[in-house]
Amino acid sequence: MNLRRIATLVGAMLLGVLVLGLDVLRYSVDLDVAWLLVVRDLMVIAAFVLLYLFLELSEKERSDNTIRGIGLILIAGIVVSIATAVVALATDVEPFEAKEGILLPLSFRTIFVATFINFSLGLFSILLFRLLHGLVLYKRKRGTKRNLTIQIVLMLCASVSTIGVPPLERNILTTILFGLAVASMVLNSFRLSWIVYLTRREKVFSLVYGFLLFGLLTVLNIITRGGIMNQLLLYHSSPMREFSSLALIFGNIYFGMAFVSTLFHLPTAEEFERKTTEITSLHNLGKLINQVFDFNELVDTVTSMTLQVCEAKACWLEILQGRDEGSERRPRTIKGMSLRTMTGGRLVHVVGMKNIGMSDIERLLPFSEHTLRDSVIEERKPVVVDSLSKDRRVKASAQGAKPTGSLVVVPLVSHSEMIGILYATKETEFGFFKDDVDVISAFADQATIALENSRLIDQSLERERLTQEMMLAQEMQKRLLPQSLPRFPVLQLDAVSTPAFEVGGDYYDFALLKNDRLGIVVGDVSGKGVSAAFYMSEVKGIFQSLSKICSSPRELLLAANEALAGSIDRRSFVSLIYSVVDLNTGTLTLSRAGHCPMILAKASGVTYIRPSGMGLGLCEGAAFADAIEEQVIRLDPGDVCVFYTDGVTEARRGEDEFGYERLLECIKVTRVLNATEVKNRILDTVKSFSSNEIIQDDLTLVVLKWHGSDAHAQSVVPVNGGSNE
Amino acid sequence: MPNQSYPLTEEVMSDFKVLHRDSGRVSILELKGYLDAHTAPKLEDAIQSLIAAKRYHIVVNCKDLSYISSAGLGVFMAFIEDVRNNKGDIKLSNMSPKVYNVFDLLGFPLLYDIAKDESEAIKKFVQMAK
Repeated sequence: MNLRRIATLVGAMLLGVLVLGLDVLRYSVDLDVAWLLVVRDLMVIAAFVLLYLFLELSEKERSDNTIRGIGLILIAGIVVSIATAVVALATDVEPFEAKEGILLPLSFRTIFVATFINFSLGLFSILLFRLLHGLVLYKRKRGTKRNLTIQIVLMLCASVSTIGVPPLERNILTTILFGLAVASMVLNSFRLSWIVYLTRREKVFSLVYGFLLFGLLTVLNIITRGGIMNQLLLYHSSPMREFSSLALIFGNIYFGMAFVSTLFHLPTAEEFERKTTEITSLHNLGKLINQVFDFNELVDTVTSMTLQVCEAKACWLEILQGRDEGSERRPRTIKGMSLRTMTGGRLVHVVGMKNIGMSDIERLLPFSEHTLRDSVIEERKPVVVDSLSKDRRVKASAQGAKPTGSLVVVPLVSHSEMIGILYATKETEFGFFKDDVDVISAFADQATIALENSRLIDQSLERERLTQEMMLAQEMQKRLLPQSLPRFPVLQLDAVSTPAFEVGGDYYDFALLKNDRLGIVVGDVSGKGVSAAFYMSEVKGIFQSLSKICSSPRELLLAANEALAGSIDRRSFVSLIYSVVDLNTGTLTLSRAGHCPMILAKASGVTYIRPSGMGLGLCEGAAFADAIEEQVIRLDPGDVCVFYTDGVTEARRGEDEFGYERLLECIKVTRVLNATEVKNRILDTVKSFSSNEIIQDDLTLVVLKWHGSDAHAQSVVPVNGGSNE
Repeated sequence: MPNQSYPLTEEVMSDFKVLHRDSGRVSILELKGYLDAHTAPKLEDAIQSLIAAKRYHIVVNCKDLSYISSAGLGVFMAFIEDVRNNKGDIKLSNMSPKVYNVFDLLGFPLLYDIAKDESEAIKKFVQMAK
């Protein structure tokens, strides 16, 4: 309890006690002072104003439950009535003596009884008035508040106009104000919109309460307006009697009206309630669209809401999958999912079954036959079957028995594409009216959006996942390439490899071999992307193991071909160029399995070194071995060797290709630079050539610069390869 | 092997054509334009339907073939075994130097009969039959 509430309550009680004390004093000593009566009236009014404030402060928020409020008032009314009756019975038969319009009590008892009755009735009047105030303003229209304010002002005026007037003399002004107040009450009693929003059950309560309150208030009105009760009230406080009386009359009129109004609303209560449920459900489904993305959950929600809204017995949803659709629309994991092939090869997923099983659905609308399902798919309009047993579109089951009840079938259409069908059945015939179909259709529309959203979200999640996977794959593949370049005093190496997509089929590697030799391999798997990346990793494995065993490049290529033959796809192949450099002598031995020729840049000129060869995986055995040649080159200090993939030579600018000539020219001018510079210059040249094009192919470059001190013969010495030599 | 992510995929697709002609027992496929991963299915379909019709004597005329990628080469690899097992062959003819270079780098001339022109390829089939 806060201070203000305590203050108001204590104030009201103090004033009450003060008035009581004054009355006792008046009774004991003859105080014939006119202004004292006015002061007394004002004190009583002040007490009630404080009581009103106390109630106002106590009730922070008005409860929404109208019926409960009415019920409580009814109980309060009964309690007050009983209490008043009991106390009144204890009163003397002749309590007052009338003298010049003023009532003089004949005993102390009378004073106490009058005080009690006036305060209890006054309190009840205030409670009643507060309730009525809330009911009238339930749904505010223009003038609602104004009319009520006029009424309150009239009531207060009527009440105040009695101040200082002797209780038994009736003032004409009071009568007029009283009449006007009652008239405005009648007007305000038409404000009954709260009844409309009650549920059926609540309306029944409202009817009973309204009737009882009407009766109770009528009785209270009659009792308080005559006889001893009237005298007691008049004696204690005319203004309060006036106010209580008006409040009771207001309640009387209002609840009388409410009773009649409720009576009229009762027949439509069910319908109204249904509409309200429909609106609420639609609203809820709309909200769900933004919340539920899980397909299964959504389907479950849609069907259970459909059941709820049209009070159907069973309900289910079928998701269609078109002929030309890939797996995209296929809902992934569906609880109790069943797959059925339909006429026309369309897949149907039956989901969200409520109170019905797959066998029942199959019996009702066989998937193998042309049924209502197909007509709905064709026409894309809702269909209602009022009587399953009589409708021709429904076939009898194998046992010859037709199902009973009614059925509604509604298509789910999104962007002029059928995505599914919603079904609901009732046990009774003629179970679905036009507005049911409207609601289910509205439901289907909402459900369509929700299902499409869920699908799109799944799709983007899937895409996201794939992107992540590809990023991971890219990282993995980067690690398959050398993480650092081998360093030797006699030669310098540099290399680069960029895939066209996340992953690619290009490969390069180095291997340190016995007797101070270095193996350099560059390869290219046919095709691009993931499939190429898989073969690339296989090639790496093969190279890593074979390079330790095979002493010559040709030998390695033959072994690699045998190793790959078993696993490679018929239409795929791998091109590889493998050279072994003797770090002591500066001889480079080279074999080529269908790969782009090596470029050798010497002081005397730049040439392509192209021993004959064949791609790995194209053929096996002797035919392959015959095709592979080996070539030996003596490297001189300053010589540059360039290995590359066709991403370099086939870089495009419109119709034009970078080609072998441009590559040769580029190396001719950069030959004197170090390996890194040569590599960068080639990259830059290729990039500026195809400036406007995106990188279209995996591109790999390996550059070797020979520093070795001792110079040997500088001619290129081809050594005949081939197994027959 | 460029072009998988060529921006105008549709145009590239339509840039490749396979024309089919018969000359006696020999079927001639004339290739036009770019043969890469995107357009390879067209050629695949064409050869597939020849095999389905039991026509195993195939000459692929590359006169107007402006480019071939590794995926394009793969198409020939996919069918050659089938065709040869049925006593037929896929012979190639009329290659531009650029296209021939791609075949040559990979050692295709060792595996395939690459004739100078179409009539020479047909002649070889006739001789084979004798």
